[in-house]
Amino acid sequence: MNAPRISVVVPLYNEEESVPPLVDAVRDALGPGNDWELVLVDDGSRDHTAEVAGQAADSDSRIRLLRLARNCGQTPAMQAGFDHAKGEIVVSMDGDLQNDPGDIPRLVARLEEGYDLVAGYRERRQDTVITRKIPSWIANRIIRRLTGVQIRDNGCSLKAYRREVLARMHLYSDMHRFIPAVAAATAGARITELPVRHHARRFGQSKYGLSRVAKVLADLLTIKMIRSFRERPLLLFAIGSLGAVLLGLGFTLAAIIAAAFFRPEKVSAVVFPGAALLWFELAGYLMLLGLIAETAVMEHRRDRAEPAPLARGDLR
Amino acid sequence: MSARSPVSVVVLVDERPEPLDGLYEEFSAPLRAAGVPHDFLFLIEPSRESLAAPLERLTASGAPVRRLLLAQAVPEGAMARLAAEQARYDTLLLMPAYRRVEAAALPLLAAEVAGGADVALACRDPRRDPGLNRLQARVFHGLVNRISPQRFVDMGSGVMALRRGVLSDLPLHGEFFRFLPVLAAREGFTIHEVPVRQHPADQRTRVYPAGTYIRRLVDLLGLFFLVRFTDRPLRFFGLVGSVLGLAGAVVLLLLFIQRLQGVGIANRPLLLLGLLLLVLGIQAVALGLVAEIIVHLGAPRRRAYRLREPTPPAPPPES
Repeated sequence: MNAPRISVVVPLYNEEESVPPLVDAVRDALGPGNDWELVLVDDGSRDHTAEVAGQAADSDSRIRLLRLARNCGQTPAMQAGFDHAKGEIVVSMDGDLQNDPGDIPRLVARLEEGYDLVAGYRERRQDTVITRKIPSWIANRIIRRLTGVQIRDNGCSLKAYRREVLARMHLYSDMHRFIPAVAAATAGARITELPVRHHARRFGQSKYGLSRVAKVLADLLTIKMIRSFRERPLLLFAIGSLGAVLLGLGFTLAAIIAAAFFRPEKVSAVVFPGAALLWFELAGYLMLLGLIAETAVMEHRRDRAEPAPLARGDLR
Repeated sequence: MSARSPVSVVVLVDERPEPLDGLYEEFSAPLRAAGVPHDFLFLIEPSRESLAAPLERLTASGAPVRRLLLAQAVPEGAMARLAAEQARYDTLLLMPAYRRVEAAALPLLAAEVAGGADVALACRDPRRDPGLNRLQARVFHGLVNRISPQRFVDMGSGVMALRRGVLSDLPLHGEFFRFLPVLAAREGFTIHEVPVRQHPADQRTRVYPAGTYIRRLVDLLGLFFLVRFTDRPLRFFGLVGSVLGLAGAVVLLLLFIQRLQGVGIANRPLLLLGLLLLVLGIQAVALGLVAEIIVHLGAPRRRAYRLREPTPPAPPPES
């Protein structure tokens, strides 16, 4: 069988009831041809997802099942699907039937207009307001603000990518929420959006809760840093160090003024000078850390572990 | 894999070894009786070289025994990795050079791996140690099981059968060999604990120097970080930094309010405490950022998933 043009990657975790209708919907959306494949990734499900998905794979050569050895989380599951997808265009989507496979052809058509990544955004989202819509709205605003990537619905998994972009992105931790930001930061991807349909969950339970907010914030800080300073981390630490030096100088000045103008019983000989020393110590510490980070980046470049950057073609 | 798949018994000769020829005679007998094809590989630390002489006689007499003398003393994790490279068969039976479990355990462990487990761990049951040993073991397992994705009753026997591939997939640096079952469980390998009889020689009271307990605690801290935060160090350092920084910010805010009310702060040690906490918080977050950069840079070479593989077919027995 020739390599398919489109690979649809679907991570699954405890979705045994969703798999058969999902497979049918993908078949309906992409037609009877052999130019597509469906890569189902079982993320260590505790129910019969793997068996049900395995039956689907056995009955249709266009469907493949990858089984992870344990429950690794959505990001590694998605990365596993990307690593094993054969198509030049890769589409990711959730396995809980909240995304509609019928939107895939539109996403692909949009990608072929010259984009590297098309992100779906959920119109008329069928979720609860307090626990899903409001946190999502706030998170998306923060993500847009911090990453500079103007995607209105980072939480929607339905996205289409060019393979070259995926080859330059390496997802870890919980970064599936920030794929457009990672793609822009690490591959300079041209990104656009498209409205997609959203359905209420039919089977099973949501795997996420409000507890993800702190994790999202920590990951966001990482993305922001990577986006801004991946080529020169020393600059980030030098800026922080400069701020600490200024604060140290401020406390030094305060110590001098206090010693010169205040009565001795009102001024401690330790507090302001000690505070100044603390800030100077922080400044030195940040510079040393920056040097370590810079060394790590240099060593990485020497290893040439990353593929060359994406080129947009010859400028004549 | 059949119950008679061949196994390489790997004996790590480092701590308090007993005479190796006697060990071979005792532990090879049940394997022979069970019809399990096997060989023995003794990995010997340089300081234990003198113990290797009796093995030479065994080899000369045709016993399936190999000796490898290490160039330097290394942790057991490194010895295990060497064993994975050097072992003749794909199923390894690791054991220390002293008696922890009765020899009859070896065929049971080999059969468990032949039956589909990735790791079969000898679990001394019932324990016949003195109460102090059992108390230490209970505390140790209580702490480890809080971190581990799978609960273990006895990780301390040091006797286990496993597939060769397990060793190459695990980060067994330093003293982490002790936590092999936890690390294997984290990678999604199937681990079975097999109840076996404790050896009478293993029933003396064990009390270690204080430094050993401290090293164990440090190892546990390392394990905790490895299991929970290796891929996301900023979450750990960010949490520590946020708590410290927030505490510092609260102290400084209180001082600021007092200053607005006309109370001087130039002689208040509390100002130093607040700043110290804030600075420590910033340092923790900054450290987390560096760790995150290193993880990010390593991401192209590393995958946070492992695919489930069908059990490889066993090679034909050669003995």
